[in-house]
Amino acid sequence: MNDNSIQQKVYTVAELTRSIKRTLEGRAEFNNLWVKGEIFNLTVHSSGHIYFSLRDNDAVISAVFFRHANRNLTFKLKEGMNILALGSITVYEKRGSYQINVSMVKQEGLGELQKRIEMLKQKLAAEGVFSPERKRPIPFLPRRLGIATSPTGAAVQDIIKVALRRYPTIEIIIAPAVVQGVDAPVSIARAIEELNRPEYRIDCIIAGRGGGSFEDLMPFNEELVVRAFYNSRVPIISAVGHQIDHPLCDDAADMFAPTPSAAAELAVPVKEDLEGEIEYLAIRTSNAVGSLFRDLNTRVESIRSRRIFRDPFEIVNRKEQLLGDMLNQMLSSLKDKVSSGKSRLLSIPDIRMIIRNLINTRKHSYIMALKAIEQLSPMAVLQRGYAIAMDEEGKVMRSVSDTGVDSLIRLLLSDGSLKCRVNSIERGGSDGKEKNG
Amino acid sequence: MEKKKTAKSGSEKTDKIDFEKALQQLEEIAMKLEEGDLGLDESISQFEKGMRLAKFCREKLDEAERKIEILQKGADGNVRKKEVDVDAATGEIENEDDLQGSLL
Repeated sequence: MNDNSIQQKVYTVAELTRSIKRTLEGRAEFNNLWVKGEIFNLTVHSSGHIYFSLRDNDAVISAVFFRHANRNLTFKLKEGMNILALGSITVYEKRGSYQINVSMVKQEGLGELQKRIEMLKQKLAAEGVFSPERKRPIPFLPRRLGIATSPTGAAVQDIIKVALRRYPTIEIIIAPAVVQGVDAPVSIARAIEELNRPEYRIDCIIAGRGGGSFEDLMPFNEELVVRAFYNSRVPIISAVGHQIDHPLCDDAADMFAPTPSAAAELAVPVKEDLEGEIEYLAIRTSNAVGSLFRDLNTRVESIRSRRIFRDPFEIVNRKEQLLGDMLNQMLSSLKDKVSSGKSRLLSIPDIRMIIRNLINTRKHSYIMALKAIEQLSPMAVLQRGYAIAMDEEGKVMRSVSDTGVDSLIRLLLSDGSLKCRVNSIERGGSDGKEKNG
Repeated sequence: MEKKKTAKSGSEKTDKIDFEKALQQLEEIAMKLEEGDLGLDESISQFEKGMRLAKFCREKLDEAERKIEILQKGADGNVRKKEVDVDAATGEIENEDDLQGSLL
């Protein structure tokens, strides 16, 4: 059976360890995994690396938290602390051990932190720090852009890249800031404040960082940082990457973007587009004036070709004739008017005739009345041949007894009177009423 | 408010009329002229104004000269600007060695 065992592969320790390493480290689920446990055997090495173990009731795993990863820690690790660790499984060949290489830790009991943020949010909201009315528009064409972020992170690169792509001649001033860890809040606030100095003549500030865990983004929830955004005199865009919950600085800024690249797109216009727009509008303006000139020219030509310019007298003649026609028409219509007025006048009965008739009628009846009156008068009777006898005293005599023989009487005729002497008196019979004179 | 007052000083160098307004006016002029209701004199004066605005906008666009600077705190505590080279394709700052992490 020796042959059998010889046919099987024999590893060196190193080969075996490397194989184990490849197997463990190559497994996807062992990369960037979260594990939770209690810290024990905590050692902070002078190099800055942190070594500890995580345990629960049934198992233990070693952990290493290298300096470059732990420098952004926002709290101190303590023996007995319950944490969540993000990391990948690695194999340390020299010791034949595996461990978790931690890139980030979270304190369990995050509830406390969130409570703190909520309280701060309410306090600042009451002060009006988040009020939408105080938000200013981002300048349309910023000549100089300010960036407050880590000078080495992906965020600054993204902003620069996008800004230069959109506007190749833009000017940028970067204020470096630590964006995670205990120093971050002061550092970010300082960078924003610095960019506000008037001599930099910055038109718009982008402040933020790339994506990260809740703890990573925690500085952007700190009062100092939120107030720095609020107090920025230059319009400011918050650009904190990929978060589920907005950090408070988003609400204090004039505008916020989901990523630093998006912030650069908000802040910086595309120069080529603007150039194109200007040229387009300039061409439209020129064309519009050009077509106005062409229109005017066409109108001038069409006016020039009109008859008045070809034969100006013809139009005068025509107008003259028209005028003559009009005059004739007016005259004849005037004549018509006059004659019709006249005939209307003539058709009215002669008023004087009426009046004369009226007067004649009246005159006639007056004369008739006069005649009637005259007939009643004794004079009228006298005209028919009668006479009135009166005594000497002028009394009318009605009887022959009213006088005596030889008495003087007077006979009144129509045109005068006779003085007579009575010769004799005969009674009875009217034939004897002769006047004896 | 304090903020309002100083919002303008951020762009104090800009002329009385800003780029955006100039562009807007230019567009209005183009539209007015296209409608063709203006008289000849008015059209010419609007055209001249439009050309001035276009020139102003072009100049405004070319005012900035690409320059990337980073602030550094000197030993004396004063902050000064330092011009840096940048790879436009990646946005990477090329002389990363002498970058400071913060102004603290």
